[in-house]
Amino acid sequence: MTDPILEVRNLSTHFFTDDGEVKAVRGVSFSVSPGETLGIVGESGCGKSVTAMSVLGLVQRPGKVVGGEIMFKGRDLLKFTKEELRNIRGRDIAMIFQDPLSSMNPVLRVGYQIDEAMYAHDKIPKDDVKPRGIDLLRQVRVSDAERRINDFPHQFSGGMRQRAMIAMGLSNKPDLLIADEPTTALDVTVQAQILELLRDLNEQTGAAIILITHNLGVVAGLCKRVLVMYAGEIVEEGTAEQIFERPQHPYTWSLLRSVPRIDASRGHRLLSIEGLPPDLIDLPQGCKFNPRCPFRVERCFSESPPIEQVAPAQHAACWVTMERAYAEMGAGTITDTSPGAASGVHPGGRTLPVAEVQAAIGGASGD
Amino acid sequence: MTDTVVAPAARITPAVEPLLRVVNVVKYFGAGVGASVKAVDGVSFDILPGETVGLVGESGCGKSTLGRLITQLIPVTSGEVYVDGVDITKLRGENLRQQRKQLQMIFQDPYASLDPRMTVGDIIAEPLVNFKMISGRAKDARVQELLRTVGLNPYFNNRYPHEFSGGQRQRIGIARALALNPKLIICDEPVSALDVSIQAQIINLLEDLQREFALTYLFIAHDLSVVRHISNRVMVMYLGKIVEVAPSEDLYTSQEHPYTRALLSSIPVPDPRIESKRRLVELSGEIPSPLNPPSGCRFHTRCPIAQVPGVCADVEPPLELKAAGHLAACHFSDQVRTKIAVTV
Repeated sequence: MTDPILEVRNLSTHFFTDDGEVKAVRGVSFSVSPGETLGIVGESGCGKSVTAMSVLGLVQRPGKVVGGEIMFKGRDLLKFTKEELRNIRGRDIAMIFQDPLSSMNPVLRVGYQIDEAMYAHDKIPKDDVKPRGIDLLRQVRVSDAERRINDFPHQFSGGMRQRAMIAMGLSNKPDLLIADEPTTALDVTVQAQILELLRDLNEQTGAAIILITHNLGVVAGLCKRVLVMYAGEIVEEGTAEQIFERPQHPYTWSLLRSVPRIDASRGHRLLSIEGLPPDLIDLPQGCKFNPRCPFRVERCFSESPPIEQVAPAQHAACWVTMERAYAEMGAGTITDTSPGAASGVHPGGRTLPVAEVQAAIGGASGD
Repeated sequence: MTDTVVAPAARITPAVEPLLRVVNVVKYFGAGVGASVKAVDGVSFDILPGETVGLVGESGCGKSTLGRLITQLIPVTSGEVYVDGVDITKLRGENLRQQRKQLQMIFQDPYASLDPRMTVGDIIAEPLVNFKMISGRAKDARVQELLRTVGLNPYFNNRYPHEFSGGQRQRIGIARALALNPKLIICDEPVSALDVSIQAQIINLLEDLQREFALTYLFIAHDLSVVRHISNRVMVMYLGKIVEVAPSEDLYTSQEHPYTRALLSSIPVPDPRIESKRRLVELSGEIPSPLNPPSGCRFHTRCPIAQVPGVCADVEPPLELKAAGHLAACHFSDQVRTKIAVTV
């Protein structure tokens, strides 16, 4: 195994607001190997973007990283001065954002904005900057790049702006590219093109990618490894195959069944995860998912489950885990996670302890 | 301008009168001297009572404009919209107001579509008060009944919108739409602003309400997975025109229009094995401007199988029946599935 380029250990980021301390990220640990594609999924407010911002030192007041270490190539970024951080950002670690229009300066030409990062970091020889700018724009498949490099951002379509943002991110040949919801503002046909582009760039340049999104399909297409976040914590981690085919945390399992799939047979009902994510100021005791979990047991209300290995390379933070829940319900092993699959296993989204789930499905119903 | 097309449902079951019949509706927005944005350009379809018809397309295709034309929130440039046999584009003032009771709308943004200074009770009761249908005690009772119907605590009627989450606000918007017992509800991107785990709650609620109150939906959204899940039939729009209408069951397995096939090939599914085999149908270029749409078939500039120069650039294909209940506007629909390879 190669050494990870990024290793986040026990990261906690809180926001100190007038209403109280918002514990946005709590005890998050993960690592990224060179050239790896890692997906971080979760709903709004789960802490996925704050985690990324913390890595880049972009968390602003009233937010503050209150604990942990962010080791990049063996050095802790949290101990860096502002100046040292600036040398890393845009050079070794680059970030692309959800909304390409508001991330670009409307009064500067696209080419200038791509070149700016290269001039700032002195990694690319000065004479090479302009040709490289055009080359990058061509690489992200903007047609007629020689001419379009002189355009202003408003002359670009949404998809082209996101391509230009990616060109900026890649300009200094970073080791790690963090993409925060890079396709959320785009139409599906454009989204598919951008994802394909990121996939190709990962193969060609060897840059590791952290993709942050709420869209499970997008993650399945690009990422080899996936982290699932809920209420500021990582609840499950595993390879894409494990997360999508054998999820062990009830939240991951429920989420997969709550999203309509284009390839699913029709007529089934979506699983609805009742209730709302918890208030990050006033978190529930024990497991943070317990108020919405259909598989909770007594222990979930009092003790927070640690993240533990559930299979080789797969970790989950759950006292029950789906495998045990299935076994206790006599439903065999998890074979299919699409909505409507294994119907009868889940009692229609009601929040019930396992014993009642068992009763509701009549014990051993088989899968 | 295109020919009037009769939607397939009307042909299959002529005995049932459509609840909504849209005939050759056109909407041009003025854009300076001599120019106009052809937002909706000759659209015709029927919706039968109790049906859910989905309308999908990418941003700027005219789907939201079409929804607003059907409710007459904006006037049509030409064409007719029949609701229960009455052409509401010809109605004005009080007559239009009375006819509109049957049509309600659910909006995309649950934050912008509720007045922050009104209580939830007043918001839901506003349509009832507006039509002087109810007052006093009976009004409060009806509001509480509606709150219960959409799964909210009936005693929340004195609270304000800011006290609710996005999903709860969308439930309030749905309660308001139900207040007048409408026949047709136009849902314009009702779940796209909501979080994934909340989307399923609202989709399930809409399905339950349809069963309970025999509602008819026109479900407008850009997310084809959501649209296909909830709809009986799906209409695909491109640059102001409907290019394909298909029963939801058929849409995923058989497409008669290249645009629909491209759209389907770009929707990611949460399954890494399928994703690794995905082949994207590359559409060349960008969506053309609706100010000056391409000649002939509007999709010919991006179509992988278009004959240009030739019939695709010269002749506009009519929306016609290709299979049972399945309409498409393409000269070469028989080649769509053989010539455009995807994994789906």
